[in-house]
Amino acid sequence: MTRLALVTVILFPLVVPGFSKASELLPADRPLAEVVDHYVSQKLRDAKVEPAAAADDATIIRRLTLDLAGRIPTAAEAQSYVASTDPEKKAGLVERLIDSDAYARHQANEFDAFLMADMNASLRDYLLTAFQEGRGWDQIFREVVIADQLSEAKAAAEFVKRRAKDADKLANDVSVMFFGVNVSCAKCHDHPLVAEWTQDHFYGMKSFFSRTFENGDFIGERDYGVVKFKTTDGDEKTAKPMLLSGAIVDEPESAEPTAEEKKKEKELLEKLKKDKQPPPPPKYSRRAQLAEAGLQAADREYFSRAIVNRLWYRLFGHGLVMPIDQMHPENEPSHPQLLQWLARDLQNHDYDLTRLVRGLVLSDAYARTSRWAGDARPRPDLFAVAAVRPLTPHQYATSLRLAVRSPARFSGDVSGDEVTSRIASVENGARSLANQFDQPGENFQVSVTEALMLSNNEKVTNELLRDAGDSLVGDLKTLDEPQRAVETAAWNVLTRELTEDERRLLTDFFVGQGDDRLTASRQLVWSLLTSSELRFNY
Amino acid sequence: MSQELFDRFSSPGVSRRGLLGGMLGGAVAATANLTGLDVLQQPALADTLKRNDRRVILLWLAGGASQLETWDPKPGRPTGGPFRAIQTNVPGVQISELMPKMSQRLQHTAIIRSLNTKIGDHGGGARLMHLGRRDESNLRLPDLGAMLARELSDPRSLAPDYVTYYTATEGRGNAVGQAGFLGSRFAPMFLTTEAQPENLSRLTAITATEDQRRAEMRSLLSQRFAAERQTGAVGSHDEAYARVRNLMAGEKLFDISDEPQAIRDLYGPTLFGKQALVARRLIEAGTPFVKISRAWWDSHGQNFETHLELVTELDNVMAALLDDLKARGLLESTLVVTLSEFGRTPNINASLGRDHFAKAWSTSLTGCGIQGGSVYGKTDPDGHTVADGEIGAAELFATIFEALGIDPQKEYHVGSRPVPLTDIGTLPVTEVLA
Repeated sequence: MTRLALVTVILFPLVVPGFSKASELLPADRPLAEVVDHYVSQKLRDAKVEPAAAADDATIIRRLTLDLAGRIPTAAEAQSYVASTDPEKKAGLVERLIDSDAYARHQANEFDAFLMADMNASLRDYLLTAFQEGRGWDQIFREVVIADQLSEAKAAAEFVKRRAKDADKLANDVSVMFFGVNVSCAKCHDHPLVAEWTQDHFYGMKSFFSRTFENGDFIGERDYGVVKFKTTDGDEKTAKPMLLSGAIVDEPESAEPTAEEKKKEKELLEKLKKDKQPPPPPKYSRRAQLAEAGLQAADREYFSRAIVNRLWYRLFGHGLVMPIDQMHPENEPSHPQLLQWLARDLQNHDYDLTRLVRGLVLSDAYARTSRWAGDARPRPDLFAVAAVRPLTPHQYATSLRLAVRSPARFSGDVSGDEVTSRIASVENGARSLANQFDQPGENFQVSVTEALMLSNNEKVTNELLRDAGDSLVGDLKTLDEPQRAVETAAWNVLTRELTEDERRLLTDFFVGQGDDRLTASRQLVWSLLTSSELRFNY
Repeated sequence: MSQELFDRFSSPGVSRRGLLGGMLGGAVAATANLTGLDVLQQPALADTLKRNDRRVILLWLAGGASQLETWDPKPGRPTGGPFRAIQTNVPGVQISELMPKMSQRLQHTAIIRSLNTKIGDHGGGARLMHLGRRDESNLRLPDLGAMLARELSDPRSLAPDYVTYYTATEGRGNAVGQAGFLGSRFAPMFLTTEAQPENLSRLTAITATEDQRRAEMRSLLSQRFAAERQTGAVGSHDEAYARVRNLMAGEKLFDISDEPQAIRDLYGPTLFGKQALVARRLIEAGTPFVKISRAWWDSHGQNFETHLELVTELDNVMAALLDDLKARGLLESTLVVTLSEFGRTPNINASLGRDHFAKAWSTSLTGCGIQGGSVYGKTDPDGHTVADGEIGAAELFATIFEALGIDPQKEYHVGSRPVPLTDIGTLPVTEVLA
């Protein structure tokens, strides 16, 4: 059954912030990275801020490998990239990373953490398939919201199912995650900051989910039911299914069933629950209407901008609109035309997130150093200097585990396929450690619990500082020259060459530990592992 | 106004270090030329100093303690049960005979007998009584401990900011303890039956000197990294490890074998008593919030045997704690709260039990900022409903904040959204405040 959504745009004008005419934007066929730099540079010139220099090669390969493959590079990868004289080496690296299996795994991890935060459930298997097949963000949105339990994408239903008991949460999570707008303020009163947003919008979004229910291991959706709410004036009002733009979805009349019909429905549901079968799909699904209407007209702008802003935030550490769940008309983007251009580009290219990611990481704005030697760091929304971003739990755990393996495991003497599979196994082995770390959000702070664990937990430190043939500590204690031990450890953990200063400092430290090379190696590796440098993507 | 500046303005949690360093944002910068000494003479700021010494110990009675067998007895009524009421040292105030020691120490305690908190399931009730408001699906709320850690902690302290003991019955999964949007910095240190917190002791494989040296190298490397990368998140990493050094130095705080035998005897041999003693050591060392727990009060059957045992222990431990705090001069600056997820039904069921009851139950507040000997609110003669002075969790929280000198309407900002400590318009119960 496909029924076109009938969307009526009532009185509201197009309430999309900072909207320029298409003709005022750079042409659609310009390379994405170039467009990013055009608009970012323009604003820097206007603000009279000179951006920071480009980051060095070791920083670039670390940043790209963390962002595209979810881990630090191996010492061998970093060394070979730094040594390469190929002028196209960055583009080549980006393509290699995007083509690797780790790319889809990393995307799945990141989006799972985002879509299922605090839900005690995972969408990872579904997301992994989706990213492996290169599905567009529009398709992922449809599969998640429609949550068809009889389709191949049934694993996506977990998103709705876990929230089915709480239509408020479902409505707000969908608004935040897919449309970049937190409408929960409009639940009890009209939005205090956004004149256009009223309780009608909150309850309008809620209406798309209010007919959804849990039935055993499945979710179902009824053909009837309305959302009523009390206005701030105390009047009772029946909500109409309304999108964030104010568009209302016209729908066929639905009659409340008779008591007899309700009884029959209940019996059927009980039986299906027992038989472990999903409830029959509704004749008219409001969730399916949202999946359709949400990708049209002004709502499509919200939808596209939200994901552009989110990926920008992930890669640049600061959104084009901040806070990222407040993409409302009163909250101007820092670079309105850039956001609009990127959203249009996404729409024109089947909502292909990889195209967007590739373009962003190939920009000069992405490739700046994170060091700022001047007085005050410039405002983050100028993107004049790279942000210092906390690693996500998966990035950090995988990087810690990778950093403590013997570099010989991944050296040029081992076949490429073997290295890939060894890295995948390190990544897999890091899952339980990843669960010990907090997912970073805005204003993230490292917890004392984390520092206590990495300092004093016997199990964790035994694993990281293991003395074995395939471990870094095992390698280091056999090296005769202290300076080589220090350099080997630094390449493995920090994945860069040490400065003269650092080399002296660390060598003195290593030698100062006395003759027990095993203890000295452990002390050295622990200091590097727990230093702030490994904790962040800089 | 930038967000950072905004946070500064809206944060009265000025640390002593900040004050004495003479470097202050907002309010003080506006009154120029203040030397450190002048700052101390400003009444508002002197208050801040004093407030930083304020502490809270929460006695959490997990499962739901009966108000009828504790603070609101109904002797001689059909709902009263077998225990009598006894006269306390405050004229006109009676409590259950199961609390003889507390009955003679009521001059520092306020009783509130008119809680109507509406939520009657363990999970929901416990969350409400920890958060002071209902969960919101779109906001990770901080609990009482996290808010007080944020308001009262001193960054230089060797003591942790927020310690919580949960009981084996609740389990780690059901015990509430969350910093929510305040961030990990104020997350609780969770403890259960073990006296020592997790990961606090130095690794057995290394010496104290080795531990110290690697920490110094770690810190040196981190500072070099941070030198041209000054951001909040980067700073928090080194701070967290610096905190580890402090906490490890304060490891002995959790070890009550240091205490004289007479003091240990005072608190008694039970786990709850030992936790109370650790709590006293912690708040003495500067921890702003400690929660200790006793389970399992959920007496659907045999209510009176259960309460005979548990209330007697509560009476012993609470009296010991108050005596000890008072002897050390800490009672004036320490607020001791007894709280459950709800009370118990006045009606006695067929198994001689009492069931969950959130409609009319009691709590007690003792010490800091409290009008000792006061009783607020009243239930009807059989205890079925609140007859006078009904309040909910929000008003109780507002009262706790007010008693500690914290404005209950102070706002945090989550993105652009202001979130007050207690819901807008909530009034504290001034009748129990000193």
